[in-house]
Amino acid sequence: MVTNQNPGALPGWIEGEEGIQTQEMLLNMGPQHPSTHGVLRLVMTLEGETVVNCTPVIGYLHRGIEKILENRTVMAGIRYMDNADYLSPMLNETAYAGAVEQLMGIEPPRRAQYIRLLTNEMQRIASHLVGVGTYLLDLGASTPVLWAFRDREGILSLFEALGGSRFNVNYMRVGGVLHDFPKGWLAECSAFLDQLEKNMVELEGLITGNEIFEARTQGVGYVDQQQAIAYGLTGPMLRASGVKWDLRANRPYGAYREVPVNVVVRQEGDCFARYKVRIDEIYESIRLSRIAIERLPGGPICVRTPIALRPPRGETYFAVESSKGELGVYFISDGSEYPWRAKLRGPSFVNLQILPELLRGHKMGDVIAILGSTDIVLGEVDR
Amino acid sequence: MTIHNILILGDLGSFFSGLWHGIISWQFLQFLVAFLSFFGFILTSATILVLAERKVIAWMQDRFGPYHTGPHGLLQSVADVAKLLLKEDIHPADTDKVLFLLAPSVFLAPVIAAFAVLPFSPYVGLPGTALATGIVYLVAMSSIDVIGVVMAGWSSNNKYALIGGLRSAAQMISYELPLVLALIGVVMLTSILDPSGVGIGTISLRGIMTYQSSSLYPGKGIGIWDFIFKGFTPWSWFFLVQPLMMVIYYVCGLAETNRPPFDLPEAESELVAGYLTEYSGMRWAMFFLGEYGNMTIVSAIATTLFLGGWSGPGVAYLTGLNNLGWGTLGNVLALGYFITKVYVLCFVFIWIRATLPRLRADQLMQFAWLILIPTTLINILITGGLYLVVSSLGGGNLDTLVFLVILGVINWVMMFVFIRIVGRATVATTRRAKAPAERARQRAVAAQLAEQSTAHTPVIAGSSK
Repeated sequence: MVTNQNPGALPGWIEGEEGIQTQEMLLNMGPQHPSTHGVLRLVMTLEGETVVNCTPVIGYLHRGIEKILENRTVMAGIRYMDNADYLSPMLNETAYAGAVEQLMGIEPPRRAQYIRLLTNEMQRIASHLVGVGTYLLDLGASTPVLWAFRDREGILSLFEALGGSRFNVNYMRVGGVLHDFPKGWLAECSAFLDQLEKNMVELEGLITGNEIFEARTQGVGYVDQQQAIAYGLTGPMLRASGVKWDLRANRPYGAYREVPVNVVVRQEGDCFARYKVRIDEIYESIRLSRIAIERLPGGPICVRTPIALRPPRGETYFAVESSKGELGVYFISDGSEYPWRAKLRGPSFVNLQILPELLRGHKMGDVIAILGSTDIVLGEVDR
Repeated sequence: MTIHNILILGDLGSFFSGLWHGIISWQFLQFLVAFLSFFGFILTSATILVLAERKVIAWMQDRFGPYHTGPHGLLQSVADVAKLLLKEDIHPADTDKVLFLLAPSVFLAPVIAAFAVLPFSPYVGLPGTALATGIVYLVAMSSIDVIGVVMAGWSSNNKYALIGGLRSAAQMISYELPLVLALIGVVMLTSILDPSGVGIGTISLRGIMTYQSSSLYPGKGIGIWDFIFKGFTPWSWFFLVQPLMMVIYYVCGLAETNRPPFDLPEAESELVAGYLTEYSGMRWAMFFLGEYGNMTIVSAIATTLFLGGWSGPGVAYLTGLNNLGWGTLGNVLALGYFITKVYVLCFVFIWIRATLPRLRADQLMQFAWLILIPTTLINILITGGLYLVVSSLGGGNLDTLVFLVILGVINWVMMFVFIRIVGRATVATTRRAKAPAERARQRAVAAQLAEQSTAHTPVIAGSSK
C-alpha cells in the first residue's frame, strides 16, 4: 500500500544486535535514472541493502492529455491518445475510438475490425519487444535490446507505409480506420512475421535459458494471486500470477469475437514468469496477425460519419487489452462535438500501485529487476 | 683537498665511467628495445582493444559501431585519446588530494609491470627477467590493483563511489583465491613432468611454457615435420590436460578485471556509479587503460600457461638454426602467434560482454566462495592423488604421456560435471525461491475467481439527464 508518507521525513534509528545503532538511509532513485523507464521517482528507505519502504512519486510526465481531449473534437482528439502509452499508440487509439463508437452505437465494418486486430497485435509485439529488451538492458545485457529494436523497426516501417507515421500513427477513426492497405503491404507483413518468428527464437535462445538471467529473476518479486486481483493488476502482471484474465478472451470486442485468443498464463508469479508471459504473448500475437491476414474480409474500412461528430448525451466505458493491461476510456458526452470528460484508465498507473509492496524486503539489486518486470510506461501513468 | 676526497672522486669517476660503458653496450640496447616494445605493446593494445570491443560488440548486435572517424572508424581510438588528453582535469572539493591523484597510477602501474615477465617470443623479454618466481610476481601485481581501486573510492569523497570501490575491492579479493588455486594445478603438472625426476617444478613462466612442448612429435628428423612440429605440440598444451582450470582461471580473470558479467561496480543502471565517478579526462583514461591492460594480461597469462605461449609451427625450428636472419623470422613468427592467441582470448572477453547480463553482488560472492574455491581445491586434490596412485602402481617406468592422458580425461569429465552442477545449483535455488508461489497455486482456486469477477458496467446510453 502506498502510505501517505512524507518523503522528506527523517528516517528512524534502528536498534540492532549488540546495541549497534544503524540508521535507515533515504535513497532517491531520481526521475532521471537510466533504468526507471521514464521519469519515475522512487523514494526508498533502505536498511543496509534491504528496502524497507518505497514511495513512488509520479507526475513528472503529466501533460494534461485528458484536459486537452475536452477541448478537441473527437476526430482531432484521437491523436492525443497516442501520447498516453507512447509505446502502443494503436491500442490507445482503438480504446478511444471504440468508446465513442460504443456510445453512438456504431459498429465498424468487418474489414475495419480485422484491420484493427492486425494493427493492435502488431503494436503489442512492438511494445513487448521494447519491454523485454529494456528489461535485459537494465540487467546488464546489451545485445537483446538491439535485436529487439531491429525487429521493432520492421513493424514501425510497416506502420509508416500504412498510416504515414512510425510511432503516433493517428490511424483509427470513429467508425473504422483511416487508410486501406497499400499495394503489397500484406505480403510484406506476412514475410515480416515469418522473419520475426525466426528472430524470436534467436532472442529467446540468448535470454531464456541463461543461468544468470534466471538467477536474477526467478523467485524475485513474487505476486500472489489474491494480491494481484486485490490491487487490480491487469495484463502480463496478472496473467503471470495464475489468473486467466484477458479482455480479448473474456470480454471480446471487435474482431476478437470471431478470432479466439489463447490466453497465456503462468503460475509462478515472479519476474521470470512476467518475462515469459510477454515472450509467449509475442508468439500468440504473431499467430493472430497471420489469422487476420488470412481471413481479411472485403468491404469498406470506415462508416461514414459527420466530420463534426456529435455523440449523444451519455457516458460509457470501453476497454481494450493493451500490452500493459486493461486500457479503458470512460467517455462522458454532453451532446456537443467536444467530450465533456474523457478519462483514461491507464494500466501502468494501476500496476504501479503494487510496487511498494513488492519491493519491501528485497535487496537493492532486485529493485531494478522488479521495476523492469512491471513494464510501466510513464506516459500512461501520468497522462 | 685531502687524499680521502681525491680517492672518493676517483671512485666516483670509475663509477661513472662504468655506468657510461654499461649504457652504451649491446645489453643495454637490448634492454631498451625490449622495454619499449612491451611498454608500447601494453598501451597500444589497450587502446586497440577499446576500439575492437566497440566494433565487435556492434557487429554482434547487428550494427556497425564507430564508422565515420577514419576509414570504417579505425581512427576512433586516436580521436578518443586526443579528446581525453584535452579534457579539463576536474578534482572534486574536499578530497584527499594525494590519494586522488595517485590512484590511477597505482591502478595502471602494476598492469604495465606485470608484462615484464611474460615471454612474447624466444628473444623478446627483458633479459634477466626470466623471473624464477613468475607466477607469484603476477599475482602480486594483480593484488596491488585492489589498492588502487580502494584509493579511488575513498578519495572521491562520494558515498556512492566509496560503496562501489569497496564492493569492487571485495570482488577482486574474493576472486583472487580461485585464480591462484587454478594456477597451482598447472604448477603441480610441471613438477610431475620435471625431466630431472627430482619432482620440483617451476613457477617461472618461461619454464612452464617449455614444459608444454613435448619432445615426442611425429616425423622427428624429417624436414617438413620438424619445421612444423618442433616446439609446437598442441597435444601437450596444458589446456587439454586441465581444461577446467583454464575455464576457472578465465572466469576469475573476468572478475578481477571488473568485466561483465562481474561488472557491478561499473554498472550504470545499478545504484552506485562506481569508484570511477569523480574521475575525468586522462585520469579516467588511465583507469580504463588499466582495465583493458588487465584484460590483456589475463589473456596473456592464460595463453602462456595453458595454450603454449608463443609456440607455433616453425618457431623452434627457425630459432634453432643459429642463423641471424632465420632466427629473426622465427622470433617475429613467435610474436605473431603469441599476439594472435592473446587476442583470441580477448575476443572471448568481448564476446562474453555482449552476451551475458550482470550478476548480483551476493550471487557474485556466492559463486566465488561456494563454487569456485571448492572446485579448484578438489582439482588440486585429484591431480596430486592421481599422481600418487599412478606412480605407485607403475613404479618408475611411468610414461608421463599416459599420466597426462588419464588426468586430461578426468579433468574434461570434471569440467562437464562442473557446468552441470552450476546449472543445477541455479535451478535448485530458484526452486526454493519459487516455493511460496507453488504453495499459493495449490491453495488458491484461480479459475473460479477469474470467472466470477464482476464485469464493468455496460453502456449507459444517453437517456434524458
